[in-house]
Amino acid sequence: MLTKATTGRAKRPAKPITLVGVDVYIITENGIPAFDDYGAFKIEFISNRGTKVWPGYVSEDLMLVNWYRCRFMATKAVTDTDVDTFLTALSKKWKWSAAQKLWNYGDEAGFSKAY
Amino acid sequence: MGKHVITMLPGEGTGPEICEAVRRIIDHTGVEIVWEYEDIGLDCLDKYGTLLPEKTIKSIAKNKLAIKGPTTTPIGTGHKSANVTLRKMFDLYANVRPAKLIPVLKRPWDKIDILTFRENTEDSYAAIEHMVSDEVAQCLKVITWPGSYRIAEFAFKWAKANGRKKIQCVHKANIMKMTDGLFLEAFREVAKKYPEIESGDIIVDNCSMQLVRNPGQFDCLVLPNLYGDILSDLCAGLVGGLGFAPGANIGDNCAIFEAVHGSAPKYAGMKKVNPSAVLLSGVMMLRWVGENAAADKIEKGMNKVLAEGKTLTYDAGGTASTDQYADAIIKAMN
Repeated sequence: MLTKATTGRAKRPAKPITLVGVDVYIITENGIPAFDDYGAFKIEFISNRGTKVWPGYVSEDLMLVNWYRCRFMATKAVTDTDVDTFLTALSKKWKWSAAQKLWNYGDEAGFSKAY
Repeated sequence: MGKHVITMLPGEGTGPEICEAVRRIIDHTGVEIVWEYEDIGLDCLDKYGTLLPEKTIKSIAKNKLAIKGPTTTPIGTGHKSANVTLRKMFDLYANVRPAKLIPVLKRPWDKIDILTFRENTEDSYAAIEHMVSDEVAQCLKVITWPGSYRIAEFAFKWAKANGRKKIQCVHKANIMKMTDGLFLEAFREVAKKYPEIESGDIIVDNCSMQLVRNPGQFDCLVLPNLYGDILSDLCAGLVGGLGFAPGANIGDNCAIFEAVHGSAPKYAGMKKVNPSAVLLSGVMMLRWVGENAAADKIEKGMNKVLAEGKTLTYDAGGTASTDQYADAIIKAMN
């Protein structure tokens, strides 16, 4: 059932939505994760508390917690089925708390980069 | 004390003229400093394609100490803030902002001496944002136990070393029970180790109202990143505005001192802006490296110039240029 307020709500102009990747939040006590090749998805960066820890410079002073945001970008046109397959494969090796699909809205990324 | 090697980041806009005035005043103390000038900010975009060049990062990583002029973060271009990047890269988790009433700057209050300790690396500044549908955006507020614990520990240590009496944790744990609740829980755990310092907590909205009504009641405040960002500016407003508001970003092995105001590009080259905020950041930096006598000398010189009221910049009601104000301080230090 839709309420009256729902049907009367302000609408944002619609843009075409494209699935382009997945952010997966990995829990590990073993430091910055290193991933296998997952075919349709390739690791782009890893951040910890919002700070990029791979690739590139990491200060020795940087405090890491046991929760890493791992951004996997699609290497080809992908569907939800590809995401399911990818997460099933990832789950065999890694414990994760959440996954967030990454969409482009028109030409704009609907997700932020890490610092 | 030995010689100090410090990375100088003049920034852009009015930054270079402010930093030049500050460098002259600090050098006049006689403290031996080798200044390493490095680029940062908007002017780097054309030259390096980034707001924060690799050479600058290497200099800070080597010296572990820097002072920074104002920079501007372009809005809506996709470039990340150089300030936030530095804080995150070097894990400068403690943002320390003193708000102390300068006697001659007339304000409705007669006593303000507040120290804010803002957690500088987490919270909604973790840059984890998603458009989760075409009409819904979300931002993850990331609060961690070790991140909360270490900012509380930093604040209590600072308070103990500097004779402060009371610390309050500012939060909204009545609503955000997991995130702010964790921050408060870590604060309370640390507070047990410092029974000689009075500790308590206050909800952020009440704290804002109390700061405006009766700021003299506050001593030290420990805050998560977002509340700290907002309330430290509120505190600056109570004591004379951002023109007199210094700041320090401190980690376990590195510290960057900076004014918190913007680069005022419309005044660039006019040499009219007030360098006091960067200068007072320099005073904090000198104290951080143990050069207390030099820091006191600058502070007294500046207060003397302000008290005389003859050589003030436009924001403080005068007509003096940045250089004339700096010269007056140097003269007052003699």
